[in-house]
Amino acid sequence: MFLDLQTGNLAEPISGRAWDRADVVREVALRVGRLRALGLARGDRVFLPFGNRLEFFAELLAVWSLGGCAVPIDARLTAFEVSTLVAAAVPRLAVVDDATDAAVLAALAGSGVLVVQTADTGSTLASAGLSRLDDDALILFTSGSTGAPKGVLHTHRSLRARWIALREQLGVDDFARSLCMLPTHFGHGLICNCLFPWLSGQDLFITPPFRPDIIMRLGKLLDDNRITFMSSVPSVWKLALKLSKPPQAATLRRVHVGSAPLSAALWEDVRSWTGTRQVCNTYGITETGSWVVGLANADVPAQDGLVGFGWGAVVRVLRTCVTSAPLTAQAECAVGEPGYVWLNTPALMKGYFQRDDLTAAAVIDGWFFTGDIGILDAHGQLVLKGRERDEINKGGMKIYPADIDAVVERFAHASDVCSFALEDDIYGQVVGIAVVLADAQDATVRALYAWMRSHLAEPKMPARWWRVDEIPRTSRGKINREAVKTACAGQTPLDLVAILSAAPTA
Amino acid sequence: MSGAVDQVLADLKVFLRTIQKPGKALDSVGTDEPLVASGLLDSLAIMQVVVYLEENYGIDFAANGFDPDRLASMGGIVALIEQERA
Repeated sequence: MFLDLQTGNLAEPISGRAWDRADVVREVALRVGRLRALGLARGDRVFLPFGNRLEFFAELLAVWSLGGCAVPIDARLTAFEVSTLVAAAVPRLAVVDDATDAAVLAALAGSGVLVVQTADTGSTLASAGLSRLDDDALILFTSGSTGAPKGVLHTHRSLRARWIALREQLGVDDFARSLCMLPTHFGHGLICNCLFPWLSGQDLFITPPFRPDIIMRLGKLLDDNRITFMSSVPSVWKLALKLSKPPQAATLRRVHVGSAPLSAALWEDVRSWTGTRQVCNTYGITETGSWVVGLANADVPAQDGLVGFGWGAVVRVLRTCVTSAPLTAQAECAVGEPGYVWLNTPALMKGYFQRDDLTAAAVIDGWFFTGDIGILDAHGQLVLKGRERDEINKGGMKIYPADIDAVVERFAHASDVCSFALEDDIYGQVVGIAVVLADAQDATVRALYAWMRSHLAEPKMPARWWRVDEIPRTSRGKINREAVKTACAGQTPLDLVAILSAAPTA
Repeated sequence: MSGAVDQVLADLKVFLRTIQKPGKALDSVGTDEPLVASGLLDSLAIMQVVVYLEENYGIDFAANGFDPDRLASMGGIVALIEQERA
């Protein structure tokens, strides 16, 4: 089914719900019948502002069966952010669940989007096989939810290219019972952790994402469900290693870590806790269908930043970072010389949805500019050294400062703003913000907080705030976020708790 | 509550104030209310609570095992501290 002839079984180990393969076929057929009755046509886009539950996967396959394009959305987005994405993607309809926020439902309906509950399937069973390889299959919005959305658009062809590359590199046996604790609106969680095993006929166990109470019982969860594979992010491992008893049943055969590379020390700790040497970093870029570099045999000495070899991709490290001129061999860095990481893979996205400008800035002749800095070692392995992308990696969730700035810039009493990454022991990074306000009144700060809270999903809210007189800019008028961060480091941040406690806003 | 327990709770509140989400008043959260579900703490902030307990009360979670429900509320955390002290 979209990769092999049948899916695997599907289970929610936390709730205890499960569908076997026959259930999956029936649940998809019910939804095909319902979506067809609602008039879904080939090429229509369907928003899915929920995830990490059985029904999400049935909706996804039903949309694809009818030739539609699925658009999974973070369930935590505000109504404002959802409206922004609706304006950009113009979905034919949205399938929601019983946890979807009332304000989001109102925003969808107000935008003319037909809204249907995932549980409302009707009773008509139907089948369809209308998808074509080059149809639009999936849009994953990676940024711009507060302004100009940036949606990574994959076709069925690019997704298959990723899955088949993984199958050739890794086989499917290790993925027999795969656990996903990652959000299903991210490439890492959806395309690779969930769909690669499940569409290859392997069993998938899905939990709510990033739930500490689940992570704290991870060892038991692995044992109880005889999990053979899982993927995660470093911040989850920091929590699990400290608070969860290790698994005892020795069922894990393979473990991936994405979104940020493990340090060598944490890498060995994860190996020790999981009981398998097959633990590796996977370099995942949504634009290339996520896991694009890794170690097929991960039993190697742990090394800071080591990710490995291309999986269905040619990896090059170049001195150039521009897509305005064809790439040449002269730009290639020597072994061990740091440079910009470029990828060439048939799993590359079709482009950024209706943003040819962004696509042109990232892709040339099929080569994708990642924005990451790395080296190729003497064995040809990629070792990541840093990144130049303008993003904040909060526990594996990528937050874009421009999204936050765009909201503050629309606040009437803010004249300038700069958000930036702050190092954090738990999350890796959190959001800091420097803002120039029209006055020094606490009431203005409270009003700004309320404004931001109504426009930004909670994980994007800054952890530390600085009220500043000006935001330093370069001679060309650009903000240097690192310089602003450094300037703020020497100043006392606002005591936001005290300010908001003086007159609670909500 | 004894004076010692009151002091443990007071110290805990001082700490929680440094890691809480700003939009929620600490005083509005009852002693037995869940810290995360009430909106006071971000879910992963429980890790900071663990570090606080290790550093200030010498509780070794790695050695003792861990029941996440015991860190769910201020009352639960205080009880854990008192148990470790006993």
